[in-house]
Amino acid sequence: MTTAFQGEHLLPGQLGQFFIILSFGSALFSAISYYFGTTGQNKFDTSWQWMGRIGHFVNTVSVIGVGACLFYIVYNSFFEYYYAWAHSSRTLPAYYIISSFWDGQEGSFWLWTFWQAVLGNIIIWKAKSWEKPVMTVIALAQALLTSFLLGIEVLGIHIGSSPFILLRTSMSEAPIFSRPDYLSFIKDGQGLNPLLQNYWMIIHPPILFLGFGSMVVPFAYAVAGLWQKRYKEWVQPAISYGLFAVMVLGTGVVMGSMWAYESLNFGGFWAWDPVENAALIPWLTMIGAVHVMIVYKNTGHSYFTAVFLTLISFVLVLYASFLTRSGVLGDTSVHSFTDLGMFWHLVIDVSVFFVIAAIVVIVRYKELPISKKEEETYSREFWMFVGAIFLALSCLQLIVVTSIPVFNRAFGTNIAPPTHPVTIYNVFQAGFAVVVTLLAGITQFMKYKKTDTTRFGITSIIYLVVSALITAVVVYFTKIYELRFVFVLVLFGGIYMLLANAKILGDVFKGKIKLAGSAIAHIGFGLLLIGALIAAGTSKVISQNETADYGADFAKGNNPKENIMLYKNEPVKMGEYTVTYVGDSVSAPNHYFKVAYKRMDATGKVVENFVLKPNSQSNPKMGLVSSPDTKHYLFHDLYTHISMAPQQAFSFGDEAAGHGEGNDDANYNPPTTHDIGIGDTIPFREGNIILVALNKEAHVQNIPMGPNDVAIGAILKVESHGQIYSAEPVFMVKGSNVFDFARKIDDAGLKMRLTKITPNKDNTPKVELMVYEQPESKKPYIVMRAIEFPYINFLWSGTVIMAIGVLLSIFRRNKELKTV
Amino acid sequence: MRFGIFVHQNKRETSQMKKSSILGIVVIAIALSVIIATYGSASRYGTFADARKTNNELHVIGSLDKSKPLYYDAHKNANYFSFYLKDTIGNVSKVFVDGAEPQDFERSDKVVIVGKMEKNEFHASSINLKCPSKYKQDKLDSTYTYPVKTSSI
Repeated sequence: MTTAFQGEHLLPGQLGQFFIILSFGSALFSAISYYFGTTGQNKFDTSWQWMGRIGHFVNTVSVIGVGACLFYIVYNSFFEYYYAWAHSSRTLPAYYIISSFWDGQEGSFWLWTFWQAVLGNIIIWKAKSWEKPVMTVIALAQALLTSFLLGIEVLGIHIGSSPFILLRTSMSEAPIFSRPDYLSFIKDGQGLNPLLQNYWMIIHPPILFLGFGSMVVPFAYAVAGLWQKRYKEWVQPAISYGLFAVMVLGTGVVMGSMWAYESLNFGGFWAWDPVENAALIPWLTMIGAVHVMIVYKNTGHSYFTAVFLTLISFVLVLYASFLTRSGVLGDTSVHSFTDLGMFWHLVIDVSVFFVIAAIVVIVRYKELPISKKEEETYSREFWMFVGAIFLALSCLQLIVVTSIPVFNRAFGTNIAPPTHPVTIYNVFQAGFAVVVTLLAGITQFMKYKKTDTTRFGITSIIYLVVSALITAVVVYFTKIYELRFVFVLVLFGGIYMLLANAKILGDVFKGKIKLAGSAIAHIGFGLLLIGALIAAGTSKVISQNETADYGADFAKGNNPKENIMLYKNEPVKMGEYTVTYVGDSVSAPNHYFKVAYKRMDATGKVVENFVLKPNSQSNPKMGLVSSPDTKHYLFHDLYTHISMAPQQAFSFGDEAAGHGEGNDDANYNPPTTHDIGIGDTIPFREGNIILVALNKEAHVQNIPMGPNDVAIGAILKVESHGQIYSAEPVFMVKGSNVFDFARKIDDAGLKMRLTKITPNKDNTPKVELMVYEQPESKKPYIVMRAIEFPYINFLWSGTVIMAIGVLLSIFRRNKELKTV
Repeated sequence: MRFGIFVHQNKRETSQMKKSSILGIVVIAIALSVIIATYGSASRYGTFADARKTNNELHVIGSLDKSKPLYYDAHKNANYFSFYLKDTIGNVSKVFVDGAEPQDFERSDKVVIVGKMEKNEFHASSINLKCPSKYKQDKLDSTYTYPVKTSSI
C-alpha cells in the first residue's frame, strides 16, 4: 500500500484492533490458567488462579476498550471505517449512536462479550471455591466469543469479522478507493436501519444479550460440578443464576416483541420467526432446568434431567447464534442475514460446548446421583418434573421446525417450511401450554413429597370448577370460541394457573413469605399467556374494505380485504370510527401521515377525537420502510399502519420546485373558466370557491413593481370537506406584458388562475377565473390497515409481574445459598 | 395434546408399572409425533410447472419479470396486486395477491412466494422479498414479508 490517504483517523481503529487481539489472547490465557489452577494438585498454590484472574481483568479492560474505540469512531462519524459508514450517518441523533452499535453483527457480538466479561467478574468476586472450574468454562466461552471479532487471516483462513475494518479495505475493488483523497467524496454514512430507530432498540439488545450471556453461568456450574465431582453442590448456585437468566432473557424477548409491535408492519407482536424462536427456545429450556433443579434439591430425584436441561440451554443459545448469524436460514426467514463467512466458525463454537457437555456427562455418568427410587405420584415435585418435560418438548417442536433449513443444508434435502407456519406453531405450542399451565396450577395444591389426597382432591377440583366458570365468561365476551378449541383450553389453563397461584399469594400474606416469588412469577406468566392469547387470537382488522369496487379480476379471491384507501380530507367510516387522512408532516427522514380518528355516539356527537401518525421513512439502505402508530387504551390497542402511499408523497424538498407550468397542468383535469363577480360562488367537486374581494395592492415575491404596473389579487375562500382554505391568485400587468400567477390548494386538489379582469363603471368588476381540479387519481391518498388488539396490556403487565416474581425468587434462593 | 393427557390418566390406574417408564414412553411418543407432524406439514420448493401439477400450496423462488407490468391501483382496489415472476428455470407466470403492493417491490432482486395456481395465475398467500443492498443486520429487520392474510390462530 503506497498511497498516502488523506484525512483518515487510523489511530482509534488500530487501538481497537489491538484491544480485540488482546481480549482474545487474555481470555484464552485466563481459561488455560484457570484450567491448570483447577487440575493442580497443590491446593495452596494460588498462582494459577491469580493468573486466571489477571487474564480475565485484562480481558474486561480490553473489551471495554474495544467498545470505547468503536463508540468514538461511530460518534465522530469516521466514515473511513466500514462499520461507521454502514450503520450510522451524520443525521443520526446521538442516542441512536448506541443503537447503531447493534445494527451490525460485530457490535452485537461485542455486547455479548461485554456482559460475559461482567459476569466473569461477579463470579470471581462471589464464587469462592467454585471460581476456578467455573471460570475455566466462562473464560473459554469468552475466548471463543471474542474470536468472532478478530478479523484476521491465519493460513489463508479468515477468522472472525472486525468492526474496525476500513471502508477502502472492505470495498477495495471500487476505483474510488485508489484516490488519496477518497474520503472527501464520502459525505455521509448509510445510516441506521430505520426500524432500529426506536427507543426499544436502545434498551432491548443490551437486555437480550445480558440474558444470553448469563446462560453460560449455570452451564459452567453444571460442568464444574460434574468435573470436580461436586455433584450436589453446583445445583444451588446454578438455580440462582438460572433464575437470573430466565428473568433477563424473558424480559429481553418480550421487549423485542414490543419493539416489533411498535415498529414493524406485520400487524402483531409475535410471528414465530426463526429469530424470535431462537431466543425463546433457550429461555423455555432454562425455565424447565430451574424447576427440575429445584425438584432435585428438594427430593433428590430427576438429577439427570436437571443436568441435561442446564447444559442444553447454553448449547441452544449458541445454536441460536449459529441459526441467526450463519446465513443458514436463507429464504425461510423474514430476516435475512448476510453470511459474514463465519459459518464454520459458528459451527465450531456450538460443537465445542456441546462436546464439553457430552464428555462430562458420559465420563461421570456412573457416578451421578441418579435416584433409583420411584417418586410419589401425589408429590408436587413429580408434577413439576412432568411440567418441565413438557416445556422441553415444546422446545423440541420449535427446534425441529426452525431447523428445517439446517437439515436441508446438512442432508441436501429441499424441504420448505410449512406454508402456514404460524398456525402450526400456535396449535402445537398451545397444546403444550395447556399441559404446562394446568400443572403449574395443580402443583400449587400439592405438598412437598407427599400430599393428603382427599384435601388435595377437593381444593384442586373447586379451583378447577371456578376456573372453568371464569373461562366460560371470558370466552363468551372475547369470542375466543370462534377459534380452535385448544385455545379455549389454553385460556382455561392460564386462568387456573392464575387462580391457584393467587391462592398461594394469599398464603404469603398469612406469613409464608418464602412462596411469594414463585406465586408472583406464575401469576405473571399466566397473565402474559392470557394476554397474548386474547390479543393475537381475537385481534380484529377494522379497516375492512366494504366499499371497494372489486374488479372482475378480483372476484376470484375471497380473502378478507384488510386495506382501505383514504383520499386526503375525505372521511371514511371504518368500524366505529370515522377516519380522515388529514395531512402530512415531514421531519426528515421520516414522513408522517396524519390520520384523524373520530368516534361518534348515536346522536352524532363526537365522543372521541385523536390523530395517529404512522410514518414511512425513505432510507438509502433499505428503501421505503413504514412504521405503525398505535393508540393505547387500558383494555385494547388500536394499531394503524400505512400499506401504500403514492410516490409523489415522498418529496423531501429537493424536487418540490422547478417543474415547468405545462408539465404541472398535466396533473390536473382540463380547467373550467368562470366569469364571476365579488361574492359569487363557484362549486367544484369537493366544495365551493367564493370570491371574497379583489386586492389591488397585490405583491408577488421578488418582483419589483414599476409606477405604471398593476397587480390585482383575487382573494378566494375555498370550502372543502369542512375545511376552509384561502388563496390569492394574482393578475399582473408589467410594462407591456401580462402575467398571471396561479395558486394551489393541494389539500383540496385545486389550482386557480386569475386570467382576466373586466373593469366596470359602477365599480363591480368581473373577473375570469380558471379552475383546475386534480383528477381523482392524482389526489393524495394513503392505503392503510388498522387492527384492534384487545387486552394486550395483560401481556406487557404479565411480563413485568413475572420478572418481579423471578427477582423475588432469586432473593429467596440466594438466602438459602451458603457458598463455600 | 389429547394424547398426553390421556396417558396421564392412564398412569394412575397402572401404578404397578414404573412411572418413569410411562413418562418416557409418553415423551418419546410426543417427540415422534412432533417430528412426523412437522414433516407432514412441511411444504416444498418448486417451480410454476410443479405448482400446476398440485393443489397444495408451495414455495416458488423467482425474480421479478421487469419487462411485464406490475398492477396495483389503490383507487380501484386497495387489496389486489399482481406482477409477473420468472421462476428458477425461467418460466414466467402471473402472480396475484390479495393485498397492497409491498413497499419497494421493484427493488427486490429475489422473491419467494407461497401459494398455488388458480386458472393459470399463481395466487400467493405471502410474498417474501430480498433486496440486494440491505440485510446487513443480524437483528430483526422485517418489513419485508407481507403475510397477506392474517394467520388465524
